[in-house]
Amino acid sequence: MKKREEGVQKIREGELIVPGSWVSTEDKSSRNELILPSLFPEVHLLVSGERASRLLRGVSALAAQALRARGPHGAVATHSMASGGGVPTDEEQATGLEREIMIAAEKGLDPYNMLPPKAASGTKEDPNLVPSITNKRIVGCICEEDNCTVIWFWLHKGETQRCPSRGTHYKLVPHQLAH
Amino acid sequence: MTHQTHAFHMVNPSPWPLTGAFSALLLTSGLVMWFHYNSATLLSLGLLANTLTMYQWWRDVIREGTYQGHHTPIVQKGLRYGMILFIVSEVFFFAGFFWAFYHSSLVPTHDLGGCWPPTGITPLNPLEVPLLNTSVLLASGVSITWAHHSLMEGKRNNMNQALLITILLGVYFTILQASEYFETSFSISDGIYGSTFFMATGFHGLHVIIGSTFLIICLLRQLNFHFTSKHHFGFEAAAWYWHFVDVVWLFLYVSIYWWGS
Repeated sequence: MKKREEGVQKIREGELIVPGSWVSTEDKSSRNELILPSLFPEVHLLVSGERASRLLRGVSALAAQALRARGPHGAVATHSMASGGGVPTDEEQATGLEREIMIAAEKGLDPYNMLPPKAASGTKEDPNLVPSITNKRIVGCICEEDNCTVIWFWLHKGETQRCPSRGTHYKLVPHQLAH
Repeated sequence: MTHQTHAFHMVNPSPWPLTGAFSALLLTSGLVMWFHYNSATLLSLGLLANTLTMYQWWRDVIREGTYQGHHTPIVQKGLRYGMILFIVSEVFFFAGFFWAFYHSSLVPTHDLGGCWPPTGITPLNPLEVPLLNTSVLLASGVSITWAHHSLMEGKRNNMNQALLITILLGVYFTILQASEYFETSFSISDGIYGSTFFMATGFHGLHVIIGSTFLIICLLRQLNFHFTSKHHFGFEAAAWYWHFVDVVWLFLYVSIYWWGS
């Protein structure tokens, strides 16, 4: 547990370099930076002052989450693990996107669209609601179950549109990304 | 945490595919220089570059999956497909050597004496070390299954022991097979018998070494608590590869050692 904890911490603090080391969620431009991994840990991108403070915020937020998620640690013996046999569980140890998805799934949510969308009745009063982060999105309508021909069309923001083939109703629901 | 609305892993730019490609160039040209011009420089450089690439690439995969949590269920599914497809390609690789063996041994030419084993060849006794090798690999298949179940049931000590036993059996096989190579009265240049025997068993031995290395990495990761009881694909991939190596041996034993003697 300790070694892995150290590894996780080192990556967050920028000491352990991974291609495109995650720096901060709020800074979009940071994702365009190429952090070249190297055999020598001293070679890494210099972090500017502004980014450093964002990095610190991100790291402390993560550290808090990690501590909450991990439970008590620090004991060397394996039988400090919550699970009796000494093998960690996903509940104890999953992190990042994997953990997010796991927690959401336990609540019955699917924030990352892993499952196919549930179809609404598709009437004018109850159209299929199609989320989008922009003002239009491609929709593929499988009019009847097991149809091989998928009807593809652009769905635009505004009025409810109908599938050109059978007339099922769709409505775009633009929303900002949560993060 | 991320700006994406999907669960896939958008891998960040990495230099390892490029260094891997360079190492492949150095390896191939290095082999040519070694075979024909008695120079091992390029080959050594190639081996070094290749080893470094593999180490760093896979180290990064472990960082991305275990430390950063990028290996969501759908990403894991892709990794599974990848490993399965790779093993299938290896099956075809070995199929070629088995094809060569059966082509030559089912209809032995007259210059061999019209018989198999060819005149003058004394094959190894299949009931001696080769049979021991078979039992060693079969036992390792059992121990790795024990390790997997222990892992899934959360039993750390059992898992560590079983994985260690598997590795030791693999090493034992390698040692036994290496000693057998010294015991043969024939060499690779002894006609088609020697060629098919050593190409097939030689590549198999290489795969045992690769599989054992993969298992050793798994043991190191297990000791560092990387695997959870539900998520341990690296171990599963190693186990699949190990079972594949075992099955190839069984085919080798039955075809070359037993039927072919």
